[in-house]
Amino acid sequence: MAGLSARTAPLTISDAYHLVRRATLHPSKAFAEQFVGKTPAEAVGMLIDAPNDGAVPSWADTAPALGEDFSVVAGRWGELQRWWADRLIAGPSLRERMTLFWMNVFVTDYITVYFPQHNVTQMRTIRRMALESYRDLSLAMVGDPAMLIYLNGNLSIKGNPNENFAREWFELFSLGVGNYTEEDIQEAARAFTGWAVIGLQGRHYPALADAGSKTILGQTGNWGWRDVIRITLEQPQCARFLASKLWRTFVSPTPTAEDIDALAEVIRSKDYNIGEVLRILLASEAFYHADVRGSLIKAPVDLVVGLAAFFGGTALDRALFVNVAGVLDQVLFYPPTVEGWKGHRMWISSTTFPLRQRVGEGFVVSRTADGRTIPLQGGGTYTLDLVAHARTMPDHTNPRQLVRAYANALLSVPITQEQEDVLVEILMTGLEEFYWDIDDEAAARPRLRGLLQAIVRMPEFQLK
Amino acid sequence: MKRRDFLRTAGTAGVTVATLPGLVDGFSLRALASDETPMSQLLASSDRVLVLIQLQGGNDGLNTLIPFENPRYYQARPTIGIRKDQALPLTSTLGWHPAMDGFRRTFDEGHMAIVQGVTYPNPDRSHFRGTDIWLTATDADVFGSTGWMGRYLSTLAPEFPNVLPGEPLAVQIGNATSLGFIGAQGPMGLTIRDPEEFYRLVTTGQNEEVPSALQGDTPAGREVAYMRTVAASADVYARVVKRAADGGSNAVQYPNTELAARLKVVAKLISGGLGSRVYLVSWVNNNFDTHANQVVSGSPTTGTHANLLRELSDATRAFMQDMQQQGHGKRVAGMTFSEFGRRVAENGSTGTDHGTAAPLFVFGEDVLGGVVHGSDPDLVNVDNVGDMLMQYDYREVYASVLMQWFGTSTSLASQVLFRDFSQRELPLFRSLPTSVHDQGAGPRCGFGAVSPNPASSVVRFQVSVEPFAATALTLHSVTGKVVASADVDTWAGTASLDVSHLPQGTYVATLTSNRRTVHTLVSVQR
Repeated sequence: MAGLSARTAPLTISDAYHLVRRATLHPSKAFAEQFVGKTPAEAVGMLIDAPNDGAVPSWADTAPALGEDFSVVAGRWGELQRWWADRLIAGPSLRERMTLFWMNVFVTDYITVYFPQHNVTQMRTIRRMALESYRDLSLAMVGDPAMLIYLNGNLSIKGNPNENFAREWFELFSLGVGNYTEEDIQEAARAFTGWAVIGLQGRHYPALADAGSKTILGQTGNWGWRDVIRITLEQPQCARFLASKLWRTFVSPTPTAEDIDALAEVIRSKDYNIGEVLRILLASEAFYHADVRGSLIKAPVDLVVGLAAFFGGTALDRALFVNVAGVLDQVLFYPPTVEGWKGHRMWISSTTFPLRQRVGEGFVVSRTADGRTIPLQGGGTYTLDLVAHARTMPDHTNPRQLVRAYANALLSVPITQEQEDVLVEILMTGLEEFYWDIDDEAAARPRLRGLLQAIVRMPEFQLK
Repeated sequence: MKRRDFLRTAGTAGVTVATLPGLVDGFSLRALASDETPMSQLLASSDRVLVLIQLQGGNDGLNTLIPFENPRYYQARPTIGIRKDQALPLTSTLGWHPAMDGFRRTFDEGHMAIVQGVTYPNPDRSHFRGTDIWLTATDADVFGSTGWMGRYLSTLAPEFPNVLPGEPLAVQIGNATSLGFIGAQGPMGLTIRDPEEFYRLVTTGQNEEVPSALQGDTPAGREVAYMRTVAASADVYARVVKRAADGGSNAVQYPNTELAARLKVVAKLISGGLGSRVYLVSWVNNNFDTHANQVVSGSPTTGTHANLLRELSDATRAFMQDMQQQGHGKRVAGMTFSEFGRRVAENGSTGTDHGTAAPLFVFGEDVLGGVVHGSDPDLVNVDNVGDMLMQYDYREVYASVLMQWFGTSTSLASQVLFRDFSQRELPLFRSLPTSVHDQGAGPRCGFGAVSPNPASSVVRFQVSVEPFAATALTLHSVTGKVVASADVDTWAGTASLDVSHLPQGTYVATLTSNRRTVHTLVSVQR
């Protein structure tokens, strides 16, 4: 593996698609082309972006009322999901990618949390800190209302600690299994006592907190909750744990020990500032290495947003987006367990794979899998003009060049000669390439439909 | 640790403790059986089905089976403990959670066995490690990438995925593919939510496929190969599953719950003749993770845990009745599992944190039921956190299921489980698989009830024989020697054999007609 040394070669169009597919969810042609010719470092610099919460639900800052009617709360759950859906699909953003990343580390769900105001609060905190300090983010998550409710920190007081948060802090949020003991969990649980959710805030009550002596990861003292974070982040394993998660999100599902150690070293040297870490990771030889291209399986939101971005459907109805991601096993704000969405191959089953093919074809034929039109947000219907789209591709007057251009844009791995030949055959429906005429729109349209359907059905299309 | 087999005598239909040694004796016979004996023939084919029910999140065993005579239970659980008078009767020292009437009745009918204190050495209290360990059947410090069911099923389809069996080997009703079904060659099972949806998904859309040239051993190539395997199974089995779903039915009303809905689909597929060996159902989430509000404060028999146990118990009961009424009761068995039990002592939020050993339930008409394996929870000799010690390794249960329910040899079970766990095999089932060998069309025959079994003197067989079939009933020793034979009353559909002269042990009864040979096991016990 080429390691984390800085890559200097300017980006080709393939490099650019690779970058935007992974660093954002939006591999649109126009967006990718902005990066062509830039150095990898310049490209990352262009991606670092400021928080944008979009249209926050109107009730987000209203404290939950006990006895609130269930139907009101449940209606807000839908709004909550559509709000996140909008943030994911509205436009390309590295910060949104990292917000998704952290939401899948500091996991909560709306059913357990119940009042979605808290989910909004947590997501805004995460979005604000997504490219900043993991230390600050961790401190914020300890007292985050959604987290306090989800992992019972609000029910954990001196003399009667609840282990739930302490366990997941070590196992899922900072060190990984095998890097702490049951005693560490019990002691840390004592240190995390004293929190309550008051209104929209998490508050710490020293009188309810266990101020006694504790031994955590070998350090003994009258530790409070901040000390647990400090002691944990001092462990070399903490940076390795984070390195592994980042590597599996951005580079490949199979990092080597050397990869992890190298990235962990960067994380420590940058004092857990994630934006700075990404500047190095996303501009490294390792990130652009041929072997890692296409090695990750798209999450449902990658798949849907990617299709929408490429085919001009980002105005897709938000509720439909939420539903499609949901049937593909990614219910927004509702990961299956505190481990989050396990991702990668876990996205693929005998149900979700054909469903993914149907979703891809839906964006090509402008119809849902069951034959209905695709609504856009604010009214109207998604309609892909296949010929107009093809005209945006380079060399669209040559069928073989057009196949190559689409394959290069839509697939993360180069196609073989055999695949190219088959795709050309599909485009030409058996006719000689000579007969390709994009100006004969009536004839070109079904052929383009056939080509694009075939591409989005390929397993390769599920990779990024 | 002392191993005791509790047996509830009152209200238990037809089960006596004497059955246990007879079957235990039977286990050694697999080692003796060579490929030529009727025994291995008997084990070679089977239509038996195993339904796994996963209680995700860590089920609280101590509030599932209540040790109501143990004062330490109430000391450890002052607010969530369930009183003796609230629990449903099980043994003199143990009661069911009051929401588990369905399980109680199944147990009392002799169709459920309980295994107490199931875990593994150095139990992991992480949900995710714990779940992976149970699914991969590995030691606590081994990170496996294939599941125990996946490995077993791989042995039935050695050329998978290049040659797919005619029927899906396993079906998971739910979402992401379980690690338990992953074999070395990829996922051995289908994952479906609804047979109709599955069929529609696979059979609509464009059909032109671009060849896969990428199946090289590159990172992307490996993912493409994985997806192609999944896609091929989906393509091949969509019609098979739909045919089963269309031809199948449900004979009983199911409760309106998530688990019941899934078991209902399983029942329909079995009823419709789907040949899958294993089904897996679970809840979508970590529901059993009852850190807080496990019970309603002040009312320990109600709340989250009670609701889950009721859902489990009622849904399972309905499923079993459905299978029994449709005549599949004998060939369908189920087993629950959960990544761990919960902490002995309650926490401060009317809940429990992660613990270790817990009971596991095996159910089915052919289960050697009404039995509690292992002793009541020992709350004195506990680990450093205060949690229970192991009575049974979960792989001892798996080995028992593989060998008795699926009829694998000891060596195959050891291969699947990476080690030989047969030393502490549990007698969980009444009989080894009945195998059927047909030689073309013609009059057929089959075994009905065999009783008493185990027998001491005369054992009576109910047999179904088509008219004009010449039939013979013989009894073989495990080495294949004929030790007794009898005439069959084809009109009455009965036969009987005197086994009083035979030594204790397990024998193979073989019924032959012109065109069919069937086997079943008979235990001789005095």
